[in-house]
Amino acid sequence: MIASSLSWGNPLFQGFFWSAATIGFYLTAKRLYRRWPYWWLMPLAVTPAALIMIVLFLHASYGDYMRGAGWLITLLGPATVAFAVPIYEKRALIRRQWPVLLIGMVAGSATAILSGWGLATLLGLDGTLRLSLLPRSISTPFALEVSQDIGGVPDLTAVFVVMTGVLGAILGEFMLSFLPIRSALARGALLGVGAHGAGTAKAHQIGREEGSIAGLVMVMVGLLNVLAAPFLAYILN
Amino acid sequence: MTTRAFSLRFRRSVHNRRLVQIALLILFWLLGEAVVRLTGLPLPGGIVGMILVLLLLASHRLSLFSLKRGAEWFLAEMLLFFVPAVLAVVDHEELLGLLGLKILLVILGGTIAVMGVTALTVDLCYRWRERDDRVEPLLG
Repeated sequence: MIASSLSWGNPLFQGFFWSAATIGFYLTAKRLYRRWPYWWLMPLAVTPAALIMIVLFLHASYGDYMRGAGWLITLLGPATVAFAVPIYEKRALIRRQWPVLLIGMVAGSATAILSGWGLATLLGLDGTLRLSLLPRSISTPFALEVSQDIGGVPDLTAVFVVMTGVLGAILGEFMLSFLPIRSALARGALLGVGAHGAGTAKAHQIGREEGSIAGLVMVMVGLLNVLAAPFLAYILN
Repeated sequence: MTTRAFSLRFRRSVHNRRLVQIALLILFWLLGEAVVRLTGLPLPGGIVGMILVLLLLASHRLSLFSLKRGAEWFLAEMLLFFVPAVLAVVDHEELLGLLGLKILLVILGGTIAVMGVTALTVDLCYRWRERDDRVEPLLG
């Protein structure tokens, strides 16, 4: 008992424990999902759920967990760089279809902001909370920038962005199965604009073309929103 | 060994090694971060790194095969890198009650709307363009 509590207090051990638990659950969830592809077995839903239970069970805090496994988030940086490869491979398609994608991104972003504002107002949410919800559909680094610009709370926005990604990757599959969509272009745009990085990872599972379009659109829609943020801030205030 | 033979050997070893390519991608990301720090660009370092790699690929200074296997690994495992961010919910107890339910509804409804509008807009525009492309040669 004493030995185990001693080793538990050791930051090195804790770091190893949380990293190993995260990677272990993720790999297990991936195998399960490959075998039984039900939406509720999606690794992005199962892995955090299991980890949250362990954190609560051990009376650990988010800070404890992040000190151990936070370095994994850092890898989103090089993962973003990796998007250069599929985008470059599909450059002919993108060069041909960029006006279509641009119209889709503008329509999608306008919908994200209007629906966020409208639904929040309808449910009685207001103030900084409502503002923090507006940039939820774009990927985290852009969303934090926009949230700050329009007067939201970047910390809250970060949580909403992740919620949108997780729910969006799951919802995206349903949407794709019943919307009358024929082009890979629209399938990729749906996931890239609707669920940023998580949606893009999902798109890569659906197909190469969908994945590269989602990756491009995710980056472009983020840039578009950062550029539009001062204008949006002007309208809101 | 001549420099040419050496550079060929070096290239071949990079093309076959995923781990080397992963390191190369991390290097480009760090380069992007450094550029952001130095210039104060309002962009994430990863995006700057990506633009850098795209420029190198487009100008044929970098071969696609020096990065392809590493990039495929990053993209396939990307969901893992999102997992720790979800745990932030633990620190926001206020999100667990009615307020959380309301926020969940906003996000669910909003995301369905965004996905529907985006996909239908893109699909519609795409079909118009394809049809116009087919009609044009007949008219011209």
